[in-house]
Amino acid sequence: MAAGRQAGKLDHLRRDRAFYLAIAPFLLIFLVFSVFPVLFSFYLGFNQWDGFSDAKWVGLENYIRALRDPVFQKAIGNTVYLWFWSSVVTIALALGLAVLINEHVAFGKSYFRMVFLLPLLVAPAIAAIVLRLFFSSNGGLVNLLVGAVSGTPSYFDWLGSEFWIKPLVALLVVWRWTGWYIIIFMAALQSIPRDIYEAARMDGVSRWGIFLRITVPLLLPAIAFAAITATLGGLQMFDEPYVLTQGLGGTNNAATTLGMYLFATAFTQLNFGVGSAVSWYIFAAVVIMTLLYRAGQRRLQGAAS
Amino acid sequence: MSRRTYQPGRCFDIGVTIGLFLLSVLFILPLYWTAVFATRSLNETFQFPPPLWFGSHLVQNYQSIAAVFPPFRPIINSLIIALPKTIGLVLVSALAGYGFSRYVRAPGHKALLAVTFATLFFPPSLALIPFFLQMNAIGWLNTFWPLILPPIASGFGVVWMYTYIGSTVPKELYEAAEIDGAGGIGTFFHIVLPIIRPGLAALAVWTLIGTWNDFQIPLVVLGDGSKFTVPLALTTLSTTHYSDMPAVMLATLMGLVPVFVLFALLSRQFIAGLTSGSVK
Repeated sequence: MAAGRQAGKLDHLRRDRAFYLAIAPFLLIFLVFSVFPVLFSFYLGFNQWDGFSDAKWVGLENYIRALRDPVFQKAIGNTVYLWFWSSVVTIALALGLAVLINEHVAFGKSYFRMVFLLPLLVAPAIAAIVLRLFFSSNGGLVNLLVGAVSGTPSYFDWLGSEFWIKPLVALLVVWRWTGWYIIIFMAALQSIPRDIYEAARMDGVSRWGIFLRITVPLLLPAIAFAAITATLGGLQMFDEPYVLTQGLGGTNNAATTLGMYLFATAFTQLNFGVGSAVSWYIFAAVVIMTLLYRAGQRRLQGAAS
Repeated sequence: MSRRTYQPGRCFDIGVTIGLFLLSVLFILPLYWTAVFATRSLNETFQFPPPLWFGSHLVQNYQSIAAVFPPFRPIINSLIIALPKTIGLVLVSALAGYGFSRYVRAPGHKALLAVTFATLFFPPSLALIPFFLQMNAIGWLNTFWPLILPPIASGFGVVWMYTYIGSTVPKELYEAAEIDGAGGIGTFFHIVLPIIRPGLAALAVWTLIGTWNDFQIPLVVLGDGSKFTVPLALTTLSTTHYSDMPAVMLATLMGLVPVFVLFALLSRQFIAGLTSGSVK
């Protein structure tokens, strides 16, 4: 008996050892290069440091300084604008397209599933370069088109315009991401039983009625997932506005996002303390959004059961 | 299916198909025009209506890029980073995912798994500044190391492999291996790895494309133009030589080709990767 128990205990130890061995490479690299930097960033947020001289403890000053900076305030507004419009347009467009492809496309379904996905392969930075060329003030395709339609050559500076730069950034996000959400929604559509549609059609419910009263409610979990994914990305937007404005944020910081503000304070002004404080503001926003999503998810599940 | 012919919705469906086709053309038009302009002369790009078919200036455009930098160097740099990182990430994630999936009763399992899941919601921007300072402190700035080694530990990769292994590898297999006297790590390499090959491929494609398109971390870490990855080199070229549009277009096209070839070969795995991230 005792020997058996001993052997069982040995087995346990061996299993535990295998567990720690299996996760050790991940854990080790993760601790050194992710956990440590994040903890250090927390410390850094309370210090004034340019990376060379000695760090100076300043308490909450970095957090207050960021809040008082008009550029930071503007960056919050820009980020909310870009996050909101790019998410809403992308998700609405993808939802409509997914339903149309799934229900109403007569032929070539797999073509449609693929083709909208292609822009996602293009790096945000590269997509921004292409967009810059098309919207360039001198000889850009869009100005050529405007010139041809209006009859007078157009040299409008789209990228320098305080108004147009934000829709252009949003356009870039919509172009790249719509295909991804189409795939998500089409996967979710597969789980809706066909006979619900048949029954509704028999009862004479219109296509629009079916979409609004059957498809959308049943897709709510997928839509919520899409919304939180778009939000996590949108709050940290950097590549698109950075390349589109060549790192400058556009005229009067019209397209400066929180991510760009963080980058500029840290790597242009070498103010690592304020930069860290900004990164914790972004983190707080992400946490709040995630908690809201979780709460919504629980309510959805509660309603379903 | 023949029943459908008599349905009144048929016309609507054909209309939808044509409408969607036109929209899809609009979606890929920028890419197509990039390819067309890459073969045209500068003068031709100013014409309206714009050229719709390929021209004969491919070689000249290539030469004008080559006058600025070796056109294949950014592609090689990106490969040197993306290949080892992908192999490392996939292996490390699969091993950890296997550990989490098999040894549910090991002490600390629950807490460690919860932490790994929580990292999915950590914004990468949180670590950006301290990561840069850390790389500076250990002398890795302006080398490829920061882009290869640290990202190998990916919470996303581990969660993915954990889910994938949990749903594809039957528990009985572990019991059988244990009776045969196989150790935990040996079981992973000899029995589990061959089974989860499709999952490895999906994670690999996803990682390769993501790494190819990375911009912010390389921008922070690499200073020397000869080490630039594709997006960095193109961004630099497009600001310094923005007036030579066809050359920029050609360089862009060259940077896109590897990703599109990869996608053409492994699009099924890529799409499997997309949907595995969503809630079920």
